[in-house]
Amino acid sequence: MNSKRKKYFHAIKLIEEKCTGCTKCVRVCPTEALRVRNGKVQLDATRCIDCGKCVVACPFGAIQTYADHISSIDKFKYKLAIISTSFAGQFPANIGYKTAKKTLLKIGFDEVAEESMVTVKMSSIIREYLDKHKNIRPIISSNCPSIVRLIQLRFPSLLPNILHLEAPMSMLSVYFRKKICKEQNLKEDEIGIFLIVPCVSQVTAVHQPEGTYKNLEDGAISIQEIYCRIMTELTENDYDENDEDIEIYPKGLSWAISGMEAEEVNDGRLKTMAVSGVDNAIKILAKIENQQIENLDYIVMNSCTNGCVGGVLNIENSFIATSRIRSLVRNANEQEFNDQYFEDMYQQGKFNVPPLDPRPIMTLDDDIKIALSKMKKINAILKQLPGLDCSACGSPTCKSLAEDIVMGNAKIGDCVVLLRKEIQDKANRGKK
Amino acid sequence: MSEFWYAQPAYENRRLGQVNSTPIPDFVQNFKLGEKDFINAGKASAQIKIALKQLGVDHVYLRRAAIASYEAEINITAHSRGGRITSKYFPDRVHIVFDDDGPGMGDIEKSISPGYSTADEQVREMGFGAGMGLPNIIKNCDILHIISEEGVKTFLEVIIYFG
Repeated sequence: MNSKRKKYFHAIKLIEEKCTGCTKCVRVCPTEALRVRNGKVQLDATRCIDCGKCVVACPFGAIQTYADHISSIDKFKYKLAIISTSFAGQFPANIGYKTAKKTLLKIGFDEVAEESMVTVKMSSIIREYLDKHKNIRPIISSNCPSIVRLIQLRFPSLLPNILHLEAPMSMLSVYFRKKICKEQNLKEDEIGIFLIVPCVSQVTAVHQPEGTYKNLEDGAISIQEIYCRIMTELTENDYDENDEDIEIYPKGLSWAISGMEAEEVNDGRLKTMAVSGVDNAIKILAKIENQQIENLDYIVMNSCTNGCVGGVLNIENSFIATSRIRSLVRNANEQEFNDQYFEDMYQQGKFNVPPLDPRPIMTLDDDIKIALSKMKKINAILKQLPGLDCSACGSPTCKSLAEDIVMGNAKIGDCVVLLRKEIQDKANRGKK
Repeated sequence: MSEFWYAQPAYENRRLGQVNSTPIPDFVQNFKLGEKDFINAGKASAQIKIALKQLGVDHVYLRRAAIASYEAEINITAHSRGGRITSKYFPDRVHIVFDDDGPGMGDIEKSISPGYSTADEQVREMGFGAGMGLPNIIKNCDILHIISEEGVKTFLEVIIYFG
C-alpha cells in the first residue's frame, strides 16, 4: 500500500527547534496523525485533515500555519481576491465591512469578490440537489475541506453522501476566471485568483484540491495577513460606508456561522442539522454510518467550533466575530447576486465534482489474514500496557502505541510507566 | 423454549454447518452490557465497527455489521437484565453472539415483525422501542439464530460475510 501513497500537502509546518516534545498536540489530534519520536513531533501526512487543532494546542509555536504570502499576487496581470464569509467579522466597529473590502483594492488587488455573493443562491442550489438525490440521505455539506477529508479517511462509506458540488468560493473562482478572461481580454493564466481564508484546510484545499478536476485558485492568503495589511494601509479618507462603487453582500455572510447554512437551506419541509467542532463531527458521522439518525435530509459540518469564524487563521475570537456577522446579516439589504452567466455555468454542470476516492487510514493490512494477526498482537500488547493514555511514549493512547508497535513504528520500551516498573523491580531484586 | 433461524437465500445451505460447529476465530472481543445502561449503550458496537475498519472490511459489509450489532446491543440494554457480547472475527466473516440474562422473548415470530414492541415507557422516552430492532437486524445480516427461554434468557447470534 505504501507505494501507492501519494505525497500530501498540508498547510502546517513543524518547527523542530521549537518543539519540546510535550505531546500536547499529539493528544488533541482527532485522527491520531501526530507522534513524538526522539523528543520531536512528527506528522503522518496521510492521516492529517488540516483541522488546525494542533496549531492551537502548541504552547511553543512549534506548529505553525502555512498560507501564501501577499507578494505571490504580483506575478499576475489581473488580481482577484475572493474573501471568505468570516472576514467580515474580524474588524472593530469603527471599520465598516465596506471600508475593509475597499482597502483590499489598495493592497494591490484589481477586483474583490465575496463568498457571500453566492451563498444565498447556493441554498436553493442545495435544495435542488436534495430533490434530485432523494435516494441518498442525509446529504453532507462539502463546504468544510477538513470534514470532506475526515470522511475520506475514517468514514468512506459516507462518501456518496457528500454534496458533489464545488463549494461557493470555488464556484466563484470558476466563474470569475471565465468572466474576467472575456471582459478584460486576458489569458486564463494572466489572472491570479486568491482566496482570503480563515483556516488551514482552505489553504490545503487550494494547493491540493480533492474532487475538483484541477487547481481552481492560484493561492490562499490568510485573513490574519490581510487584516494586518488593511490596518497598515487604512487612512482617514478610506472610512466611507456609503461608497456606491463598492457592492457588498452581507446577507450571505451567515455561512461563516455554524447553524446558519443548515437553517437557510431548510425551506420548512426539510430536516437539517448543523454540527461544529471536529470531535462532534466524528461522533455524528459514526451515528449516521450506523443509521442512528432518522429522516435527516441535510447536514452541515464544520471542523471548527462555531463554524468558519472559529478557523485558526482568523484574528478575532469566534464568538465576537459571530456577533458582528449576525448583526451585519440582520441589517442587510436584499442585495442579490443575479448573474445569467453564473446561472448558465451551473445549469451546464460546470460546478459538479467527480466522486471522491476513499483514503482509509485505519486498515492494518490489505490482507485480512495478516490484519487479523496484527489485531491479535495489538490486543496482547494492549494488555501489558498500563491503560493510562498518558502520551508520555509519544503516541496519543495506549491503544495507538500498541498499534504503532505492531506496525513497526515504536517499541514496548517506549512506555515510560512500564520502564519505571522495570527499574523498580530491578532495584528491589538488587536489595534482596 | 423457542428457536428461530433466518438466512439470506445465498447462505441457506451454510447456516447449520458453520454456526453449529465452533471453529476457532482469528480474533475475539468480549463486552459486558448493563441493564438499562443507555449511557454506555452503543459502545460495544462502536468497538466492533472500529475492529472491522482495521481489518479493512469493505464498507458495505462493515455498515451491515455496524447496524445489526448496534440494534442488538440496544435490544439487550432496553429489554434485558444485562448481558454479554462476543464478536468473533474470521477472514471471511464476523460472527457476533449476544446473550442476556432474561426475561426472554415469549414469541420470537411476533418479535421479529416490524413495529412490534414490548418496550416500556422509559425506553420509548429515550427514542427506542419502535419495534424495528429485530427487523433491522434481519435486513442487515446473512445468518440469524435466536434461542429464547421465556422468563430466563435470550441468545442471539448473527453472521455477516465480507462478500
